[in-house]
Amino acid sequence: MSAALTAVPDHAILLETRALGFYRQDEPVFASLNFRLRAGELGLIEGDNGSGKTTLMRILAGLLHVDEGELYWRGQPLQRDRCVGEVLFLGHQLGLKADLSPAENLQVAGGLHGYRAQTTLSAALTEVGLSGYEDEPVRRLSAGQKKRAALARLVLLPATLWLLDEPYANLDRTGIALVNRLLEEHLARDGAALVTSHGTVSFHGGEPQRIRMHA
Amino acid sequence: MSRPGLTTACAAMLRRDLTLAWRRRGDIAMPVLYALIVTMLFPFALGPEDTLLQRIAGGVVLVTILLAMLLALDAMFSSDIEDGSLEQLVLAPQPLALMLAMKILAHWLTTALPLIVISPLLAGMLHLPTSVMPVLMLALLLSTPMLSLLGAILVALTAGTRRSGMLLALMLLPLCVPVVIFAAGAVAASQQGLPWLAPIAWLGAALVLLLVLAPLACAAALRIALDA
Repeated sequence: MSAALTAVPDHAILLETRALGFYRQDEPVFASLNFRLRAGELGLIEGDNGSGKTTLMRILAGLLHVDEGELYWRGQPLQRDRCVGEVLFLGHQLGLKADLSPAENLQVAGGLHGYRAQTTLSAALTEVGLSGYEDEPVRRLSAGQKKRAALARLVLLPATLWLLDEPYANLDRTGIALVNRLLEEHLARDGAALVTSHGTVSFHGGEPQRIRMHA
Repeated sequence: MSRPGLTTACAAMLRRDLTLAWRRRGDIAMPVLYALIVTMLFPFALGPEDTLLQRIAGGVVLVTILLAMLLALDAMFSSDIEDGSLEQLVLAPQPLALMLAMKILAHWLTTALPLIVISPLLAGMLHLPTSVMPVLMLALLLSTPMLSLLGAILVALTAGTRRSGMLLALMLLPLCVPVVIFAAGAVAASQQGLPWLAPIAWLGAALVLLLVLAPLACAAALRIALDA
């Protein structure tokens, strides 16, 4: 199987894992995980609580080291600096400063990552439904609005691969539709995304690749 | 997909941390008030004898400012770790060490600089001769950044441990001994009319070394802290 994998060079493959495994105190969190993610493809990571979805996300983002197996980014072994700037990670902790407004938070992110062409900060905030709350400190926003403020990063910042850990959490019906719309637009731009969810996700833009987590 | 330049990124970081500090300006006043009160206690405890107070003034001001900085040090990275900002910073396409250097600079500007500004007042309460004040300020300008940088390494190393505040003090204070010796040495030399440039030059040399190495050490320590 692995020989066949290496034989076909496929430039559309963005991310590939080979026999990826992670251990906590010698207990496997997950093991022998194989999947490939192509440009324009959505990967849906499924698994129960504690099955290692968040751990996998943190490994792929480069926050955790690889215990076992190999990770490839555009066909090259993944190194910390190679895919930096191409990956956008949205985790459980949203990375928003509570004392700053959504606009100020986005300005910091834009200052670090740069802005995607043809987007503006106010347009991004309007798109996620936060117009009118630009200057409100994040601490006064509701959990769903905080999530939307973090999602505005997806609209504003340039990235090829989105790693979204529980993007639907805390969101209302329109928020879930918003995430799906952002994902569809991103995939249409030849981006790729990995999404974790322990609930059921109804995604309309084609059938996502389902990646099942198991120990 | 143009990546912003280093200047833009540094400015964004610096402005973020300064804005955050300004939103919580009460926290800036805390170390200043602490230093004022501690210095005020010395004349009460030792009696208002000019000669005695003059002799200890330089050392007392230095140690007080060191302890006051210690109060605020703990918070340098903790809120960023809690709300996930640090993860975002680590993943940003910018050199982490330089971004952390900006955070340390912002921290120094908001905690050490106010203390340096009130240091003539502190020294005045202990009857330090005004001719020595410039040397004291110079020694503080060189030694406080060193404390910020040393402290940042230790905060990064103890990030994620519980009750890190006390541990931090126990680890940082021994490292501060050389800094205090040279800074107080310069003040004492100037007070006695001796040349004081040599200890100041040593402080400067050590500061340059730390300026280069400390952000790199911080970056490595925080990456390890997140990888757990």
